[in-house]
Amino acid sequence: MANIAAQRIKREFKEVIRSEEVAKCAIKVELVDNNYTELKGEIAGPPDTPYEGGNFVLEIKVPETYPFNPPKVRFITKIWHPNISSVTGAICLDILKDQWAAAMTLRTVLLSLQALLAAAEPDDPQDAVVARQYKENLEMFKLTARHWTNAYAGGPSVNPECDDKIKRLVDMGIEEHQARVALSSYNWDLERATEQLFS
Amino acid sequence: MAASHENDSEMDCSDNEDCYEDYNDYYKDEDSDVEHVDPKKTDPEYFEYKCLSEEEVERLLNETVENLSNHLRISLPLAKVLLHSHSWNSIEVIRKYEENPQQTLISARIDPPCPPKNVIFSPTHLTCSVCVTLHHVDRFFHLSCSHMFCKDCWTMHFEVQINQGISTAISCMARDCVVLAPEDFVLKHLQHKTIIREKYQHFTFQDYVKSHPELRFCPGPNCSIIIYSKDIKAKRAFCDQCKTIFCFRCGCDYHAPTDCQVIKKWLTKCADDSETANYISAHTKDCPKCHICIEKNGGCNHMQCYKCKHDFCWMCLGDWKSHGSEYYECSRYRENPNIAHESVHAQAREALKKYLHYYERWENHSKSLKLEEQTLEKLRARINQKVMSGLGTWIDWQYLFTAANLLAKCRYTLQYTYPFAYYMDAGPRKELFEYQQAQLEAEIENLSWKIERAETTDRGDLENQMDIAEKRRTTLLKDFLDV
Ligand SMILES: [Zn+2]
Ligand SMILES: [Zn+2]
Ligand SMILES: [Zn+2]
Ligand SMILES: [Zn+2]
Ligand SMILES: [Zn+2]
Ligand SMILES: [Zn+2]
Repeated sequence: MANIAAQRIKREFKEVIRSEEVAKCAIKVELVDNNYTELKGEIAGPPDTPYEGGNFVLEIKVPETYPFNPPKVRFITKIWHPNISSVTGAICLDILKDQWAAAMTLRTVLLSLQALLAAAEPDDPQDAVVARQYKENLEMFKLTARHWTNAYAGGPSVNPECDDKIKRLVDMGIEEHQARVALSSYNWDLERATEQLFS
Repeated sequence: MAASHENDSEMDCSDNEDCYEDYNDYYKDEDSDVEHVDPKKTDPEYFEYKCLSEEEVERLLNETVENLSNHLRISLPLAKVLLHSHSWNSIEVIRKYEENPQQTLISARIDPPCPPKNVIFSPTHLTCSVCVTLHHVDRFFHLSCSHMFCKDCWTMHFEVQINQGISTAISCMARDCVVLAPEDFVLKHLQHKTIIREKYQHFTFQDYVKSHPELRFCPGPNCSIIIYSKDIKAKRAFCDQCKTIFCFRCGCDYHAPTDCQVIKKWLTKCADDSETANYISAHTKDCPKCHICIEKNGGCNHMQCYKCKHDFCWMCLGDWKSHGSEYYECSRYRENPNIAHESVHAQAREALKKYLHYYERWENHSKSLKLEEQTLEKLRARINQKVMSGLGTWIDWQYLFTAANLLAKCRYTLQYTYPFAYYMDAGPRKELFEYQQAQLEAEIENLSWKIERAETTDRGDLENQMDIAEKRRTTLLKDFLDV
């Protein structure tokens, strides 16, 4: 079975490399080891979304039973999205679970993830905090997602106000990422974030 | 009690294992003394059922499949899929099929929602999209959807799915294709794989029994008996084979007068509040629909039951589909329990007090049941000595065992009155219930007292007490058991 997995991954690797999306720099895969069991994926944040301009790195683990079982994928790059855990990068996406079909490919997966970035499904959340913000305060969500894209994925949009609030917490001895998480979770309310961090 | 237990004649206390187990005989004797009455009316726990072996159930299912296949003039595997997807309700299948065969086949996932495109060209070789290998067309197979994959890939697909416990729910390998692989198609691809074939047949059988409302696996350890009844209610089922007593509807420990949902709620509450159950509540939960145990092994809180495919929330066990608007409730409670105000705090304290009141009594009766079992063991040893030294025969002392078994039965019901009361709304009905509960409790303690002093208690006195306790129990059940 492992033989089919390797055979398929080799083939799919080429498929992605030759695809028009690579030409447009939208998706990318690299081998991590030589036996095709682990790959590094990359997707570009889709235009007209808070992720625009960012590059998101993915960990792709190919199980021995691939393609009869789906690849195990998670975000390495930290991201603020209702269907992706802001802590672990775990993804809630049907085709990576029960909706997987053996005829699907890595390219299908990467494009589906890109589509997920463009159209979140807050009713099927992975990260409850992010999903809540998305539903209750969409503008705040966009601001936060853009800020995370800038902080972790090389996105262009700098938000001095966010950076300033983080700096103030860092000055109080809080680690930067922890400060960002607290502020993001409390809609950038410095007082409440501080309270939570020191409680 | 069960109409199907005809083991009276086997009651012989020289073979003392048997008489110890069976509570039912006490009533049988009593019934035959009194004028003939319809047990359906007098016994609130009356339940007609049969204990069947796997072979008998297989025969029963096959008969249903054959009848449907003959009636609708469809193949046996097709009839089986249709029955399985309609909870084995032949009448329903026939009605739907005769009304609209095409739609029936589509909704049972036998046919694809859109008819497959006709392939006009017919090459001699094709590349299988799963293994990306070129094969002769002879090696390709497809389901009703016409999605072609090579023989080896089908075999591997089935192996992987079966090893994950999936059997009746295996679908086509094509993207977004919902067509299910029927039994004959799967077996055809597992021709030389004896072990995996057996596994598959074992899992499909499990699925069939679980989707059949009139069948229930005996929950006893290593027991393969299946209880069959047309009376699909929360009734007391007793397994002939392993002597397990359980609720026919939910398959859990019998729980009258409490109903299936309430006892589930209660047991979950007790488990959540106990330190020892920490692992259970942290890593495994029961599917809210089919109640199978699900282990959480990923970060995602959207769970899908591997058995019934029900989608639910790990945090609150709510239905995932209706979860969207309720999600906040769900996450806020668990993640932020300190949000409470003072008054809420006081309320919580009060709620805890109430819970502990019921819990302590529930737990206490459970412990009593175990202790009384030990008492019975000691009694057995003492009577054995008496019999050995010529003081009567086992038959002379049999009434003591009957009394002990009756006590266990009464106390068991009493134990289950506590969760019932806990969830009951205040009012006259609750007052009546608690009154009857107290009465039952008093008589049970009387009976227990007399049994502990059995050798010095008058037999007539003891039998009188048995009568009273059992009458209290049936009265309470008649008034409050709602099945
Ligand atoms: Zn193939
Ligand atoms: Zn198909
Ligand atoms: Zn059994
Ligand atoms: Zn039940
Ligand atoms: Zn929930
Ligand atoms: Zn008391």
